[in-house]
Amino acid sequence: MTFLNVVTRGLWRRPIRTGLTLLGIAVGIAAVVTLIGMSRGFITSWTAGMKSRGTDIVVHNMRGSLTPQPFPASTRDRIAHLPGVAGTCNILVNLMSVETAELMILSGREWGGFAWDNLKFVSGRMPNDQMEKAVVLGTTAAEVLKKKVGDTVQIETEELAVVGIADGGAFVENGSIVLSLPLLQQITGNQDKISAIDVRCVAGTDQAGIAKLCEEMSRLIPEAHAEPAGEHLVHTEGYRMINAMSWGTSLLAVIVGVLGVTNTMLMSVFERQHEIAILLALGWRRIRIVRMILLESALLGLLGGIVGIGLGVVGIQLMKSAPAIRGLLEPDLSLNLILIAVTISVCVGVLSGFYPAWRSSRLTPSLALHG
Amino acid sequence: MNNHETPAASPLVFEAAGLVKEFDEGAVHALRGVDFQIADGEFVAIVGPSGSGKTTLLQMLGALDRPSAGTLLYRGKSLPDFKDDAAYRAHEIGFIFQSFHLLPTFTAVENVLMPMFENDQSGSDRTARARELLKSVGLEQRVNHFPSKLSGGERQRVAIARSLANSPSVLLADEPTGNLDSENAVHILDLLTHLHRQRRMTLILITHDMMVARRASRAIQMKDGRIVFDGDPSKLTANS
Repeated sequence: MTFLNVVTRGLWRRPIRTGLTLLGIAVGIAAVVTLIGMSRGFITSWTAGMKSRGTDIVVHNMRGSLTPQPFPASTRDRIAHLPGVAGTCNILVNLMSVETAELMILSGREWGGFAWDNLKFVSGRMPNDQMEKAVVLGTTAAEVLKKKVGDTVQIETEELAVVGIADGGAFVENGSIVLSLPLLQQITGNQDKISAIDVRCVAGTDQAGIAKLCEEMSRLIPEAHAEPAGEHLVHTEGYRMINAMSWGTSLLAVIVGVLGVTNTMLMSVFERQHEIAILLALGWRRIRIVRMILLESALLGLLGGIVGIGLGVVGIQLMKSAPAIRGLLEPDLSLNLILIAVTISVCVGVLSGFYPAWRSSRLTPSLALHG
Repeated sequence: MNNHETPAASPLVFEAAGLVKEFDEGAVHALRGVDFQIADGEFVAIVGPSGSGKTTLLQMLGALDRPSAGTLLYRGKSLPDFKDDAAYRAHEIGFIFQSFHLLPTFTAVENVLMPMFENDQSGSDRTARARELLKSVGLEQRVNHFPSKLSGGERQRVAIARSLANSPSVLLADEPTGNLDSENAVHILDLLTHLHRQRRMTLILITHDMMVARRASRAIQMKDGRIVFDGDPSKLTANS
């Protein structure tokens, strides 16, 4: 019998209580995995979308508000000539309800801009010109809307023809409805307005070069911000809010977990104070008692974490297929997130064990001679 | 009253002088100046009615509590000043309790293993020793039984095996037959006497039973926190 056997035996004394506590931690960790996975997925999905379009820098006006603020399309003229800029493409992005889908990404792209190049047509074709009342659906968007080439799709008051279904090479791209910029400007009443400029740098530009270009662009366009693709989302108010809400909710779940485990371990120590006194009378050092309680608690946290990750994966799958989210973002269930979840769960266990362990170490061995 | 002369040849295990223990800020006097010496290899029975201070004395000898005043030496060193009293309990003494105090979620062999976590033996050596100890108390067929599946006598045998786990030189037994029927009590006393002789251990046994006390080579009788008799158990009377 090893010391670890002694520890595990302590947990199995009350299997129902241990199971319920474990479930409490698991729910907390599942919340961490699901919410953080979703919020991280938001960034990774959109970054992947931009990478697939070949965008290196995004000029936007999103920082101070929750949603992108449209700005004049002519802004592009102030940066397009900069050395190091290989190409630019004006974009207007809008999130709106389309037919049965609660939220869809509408991506209006400058006609002839590089942001169309990544679309690999599964069926159909490109619109004939920028004023053709037509859209190209990403493969996921087509599934969500249950559309095929030849169908029509109602966007606000306009009925547009589905002329193509394309694989955009990234989750967000596949979840989008792509149409020409003037058409979306007209539909949304944003004539001559855009929400972003996608900038492609000349081949071989390194991160330092990109950063320098961003600095230069931000100087030239003080009313907007130029940032490397992907990073621009991290600094937006919207993402900060999502992130804060995710971590906030997760923190609450973790605090509930800590209180649950502390309560369980305290009960366990109270129930076992006579046994602990016997172990002290048999010559166990107080530090061994402390280690036993902390290990029990950490093990409870770890097991809760493992179950929680499993529940989190299920939660992510459910959210991923939820109509409101499907096609908008792909949750990030990376090894890194799993390691964070395991670390949090073990920390929850250890943290919860401190007070009960301290209480147990204060017991006097002479208790063993009574009772 | 002290009729006992410690054999000059045997080194002293315990020496107590003016041992006092008070509780509740002096309101309760558990020990009121106790003096005695116990030599290596002695079998001493401490007798007395409830509240006479015998359990308090056992706590002092087992370093489970500290005296309020007086000196208590273990092999010449002040026991209350031991820096590592856990090591003393783990390696120098073995405890046997009236209610056996086995851990209910561990088997007999696992209970015997418990004190061995404080020594450097490998896991397999510990298990082998625990099995050997259970065999020495006649429980080789019951090693994997949980305490709830053992009789009172068997439980006390497991407790005795556990007390021997780290080969202590002193056994401290608190009413070891108090919860047993007379037949089992005799068996346990026979076992303790046998171990005392075979291993040449010092055995200090608390009892209120004169029959049990007479099995010892020496009896210390206590009353109201004082020693009222120290000598040959055959001269012990219930009223002394």
